[in-house]
Amino acid sequence: MPDKTKQAPALRVSGLTKRFPGVLALDDVSLEVHSGEVLALLGENGAGKSTLIKMLAGVYVPDGGTIETKGQERHFTSPADALAAGIKVVFQEIALVPEFTVAENIFLEDHLAGRFGKVGWREIRRRAAEIFERAGFDIDPDAKVRDLPISQQQLVEISRALAHEAEIVIMDEPTSSLTPAEVRHLFQVIERLKSLGIAIIYVSHKLEEIFEIADHCTVLRDGRWVSSKPTAEHTNASLVTDMVGREITDMFPRTDRTPGETLVKVEGLSTRRLLKDLSFDVRAGEVVGFFGLMGAGRTELAKALVGYDPISEGTIRIADKPLSPHDTRTGKALGIGLLSEDRKEEGLMLDTSVTRNMTLATLDRFTKAGFVDTAAETKAAQGYTDRFRIKMARLDQAIRTLSGGNQQKVLLSRWLMHGLKVIVLDEPTRGIDVGAKAEIFALIDELAAEGFAVILMTSEMPELLGLSDRIFVLSGGRITGSFDRAGATQEGVLDAAIK
Amino acid sequence: MASTETHDTPGLFRRVMESEHGFLALVLIVLVVGLGLATDRFLTGSNAVAILHQSSLVLIVAVGMTLLLITAEVDISVGASLAFASCIVMATINATGSIALGALAGVAFGAGIGLINALVTTVLRVNSLIGTIAMMMMLNGGVYLFTREAVQNHHQLPLFPKIATGFIAGIPVPVLIAAVVAAVGWIALSRTRIGRLFLATGANPRATRLSGYSPERFKTVAFVVTGALVGLAAVVLASLLNAGQPTAGQGFELTVIAAVLLGGTSLMGGRGTVLGTILAVLILKVIDNGIILLRWNQDLQIIVPGIVLILALYMDQRKRGHHAG
Repeated sequence: MPDKTKQAPALRVSGLTKRFPGVLALDDVSLEVHSGEVLALLGENGAGKSTLIKMLAGVYVPDGGTIETKGQERHFTSPADALAAGIKVVFQEIALVPEFTVAENIFLEDHLAGRFGKVGWREIRRRAAEIFERAGFDIDPDAKVRDLPISQQQLVEISRALAHEAEIVIMDEPTSSLTPAEVRHLFQVIERLKSLGIAIIYVSHKLEEIFEIADHCTVLRDGRWVSSKPTAEHTNASLVTDMVGREITDMFPRTDRTPGETLVKVEGLSTRRLLKDLSFDVRAGEVVGFFGLMGAGRTELAKALVGYDPISEGTIRIADKPLSPHDTRTGKALGIGLLSEDRKEEGLMLDTSVTRNMTLATLDRFTKAGFVDTAAETKAAQGYTDRFRIKMARLDQAIRTLSGGNQQKVLLSRWLMHGLKVIVLDEPTRGIDVGAKAEIFALIDELAAEGFAVILMTSEMPELLGLSDRIFVLSGGRITGSFDRAGATQEGVLDAAIK
Repeated sequence: MASTETHDTPGLFRRVMESEHGFLALVLIVLVVGLGLATDRFLTGSNAVAILHQSSLVLIVAVGMTLLLITAEVDISVGASLAFASCIVMATINATGSIALGALAGVAFGAGIGLINALVTTVLRVNSLIGTIAMMMMLNGGVYLFTREAVQNHHQLPLFPKIATGFIAGIPVPVLIAAVVAAVGWIALSRTRIGRLFLATGANPRATRLSGYSPERFKTVAFVVTGALVGLAAVVLASLLNAGQPTAGQGFELTVIAAVLLGGTSLMGGRGTVLGTILAVLILKVIDNGIILLRWNQDLQIIVPGIVLILALYMDQRKRGHHAG
């Protein structure tokens, strides 16, 4: 390994500043990353990570500060400039052409420039295969991108970086839609890139990944630089403190509680597509976690439980009454509701006010002779925004403008306002900040202590082990393992998940 | 992007443009003032009444269409249904001698067509744009199975022509009917539970279902209400033409949908107001009226609304883009 201190860093950012109308999105931020090193870029939503990345990618032009690659100052006015300087960003939303083959996508820029005539299709395929060989990827250059899973599409993006001889690869939340096995593979790929002397900036919310993969950590908060340290000098708590700006003593608080009456009794539940013969019950004051990999049936179970999706066999009883007819209206009346994993598609009315989003399930209570009593409605909504410290300017602002964590609190309030016995939470912390996560974990504990039966669907191991009183593991639509709190281990749960 | 300081005190023009219906109101005012200056025949009492009179048929159906578009569905068959229903109204009155029964038959026919459209959409899951185009074709053909030619007035009831031409308290009867329909629609949409759930259904049908409601039910209600209002409009139309006219509804659906969209209702559902629709109908009819008074080429009556619609939706996009950024 060359001595890093003598060599100019692969990328140095000094005093970078970006203003948008009314906000200072990035304020005097500096960082550097060396060849063959992984720098984790951390921060909550709104910390300025995306703004920073977009300036490095040439999407935004900085208002101040400098970007240097290998000691040379660069000025990007377009993504092509950044790529020419050796910076490739793999964004969360993968920007490939689905109808093109893998090889065509890798050389997309040449394709767009009309250079294929000179290069030749065979040459393109040969060069793609060569890149895969070098990086150790197992991908068919002739496959159409739309037929590939996200994990392989990501590798195609990374191959584009290699094709352009990029020296700095920036990955924005690369594991957000990968399975554990795919994550492992991605980490191997990252090691490979390091050995090829490529500098990597890795953006993620998942702290356990950071400790595994990153050499250095740079933390941003509210658009400002907070800290830069070798990962070895960090603990979980110190990273969270840097990100959130206050100490979170206990991520998973736990009130002493004793389970009460059985509120959910499921027997022989099957659905036409996936679930097979599931039986379990959940008592008041209990948090029951369901773990499973992608496609294991977590979301399917969540939707069948509340009457959203049809079931083909079996019975669901809520507080000793059958959920029949099997629809959400009956579910709501019996006291079971779902907080969906997909806030945008199944939770929020994006352009509608915070109040109206919050009172959707409770509308009947605010209705007199068919008319909505907006004063009572607003008052109730105000109560919940105060209780959960939902950050917003006004109750009548569109919910689109709130952060993910605050949106989630509004959706939770939608059900709490209605008053449920059983709440099903499907990936309740997906895409939300560490600070807001801690608040939601505390809230889940609070709900159980109040006597709710909480059913938690999650693919996050720390969340599962930290919150659940009992754990069921799903695989291929069946229950393949069950654990109590004391007996649950990460290994045991994962073992059952791949059965 | 340059100056952020001036944002706190936007000018009057900007505030008008960004308010919910400011732009439409402004367009209407500009049209009225402009036409008032251009011709002295525009700003007269009788011309104002004429414009309102011509607006009423479109407005009656457009109120229903506003609700329907808000639930993220559309009905292209309203023109064909209007013509067919006008024949039914006249034929029923001819057969029974009762205007009430004729009106009832027309409304029931329209509501029935609406119900079929609803079932095709919610049960068969056929996209409503396609399903109601198919319905339009069936009605356009079907009306000729019902009658080969216009159904003439054989009953000669003296009250019948008064539906279209009569006045109550100095206001034309069709205008009164349209005003009542619009007022009820306005209140229902902005103040009542069902109005909220129409909006929720369009804004996010899955969230609406998860919250314990049936989005299909609200879509069905919106289809049936639209159909029933087509039936009501058919009564006025039959009276106006003093006949049931199988060809009367051609292009009517386009005028109605254009007005609703111009009024700011989203084709994607979840957003829209009756007030916007009222302003839009008035704008389109004032343009119509102006073209006639100015003795312009009458083909412009179709061309100009097309241009206005594109401009309006473009302005709306820009406004929303600004808010999003």
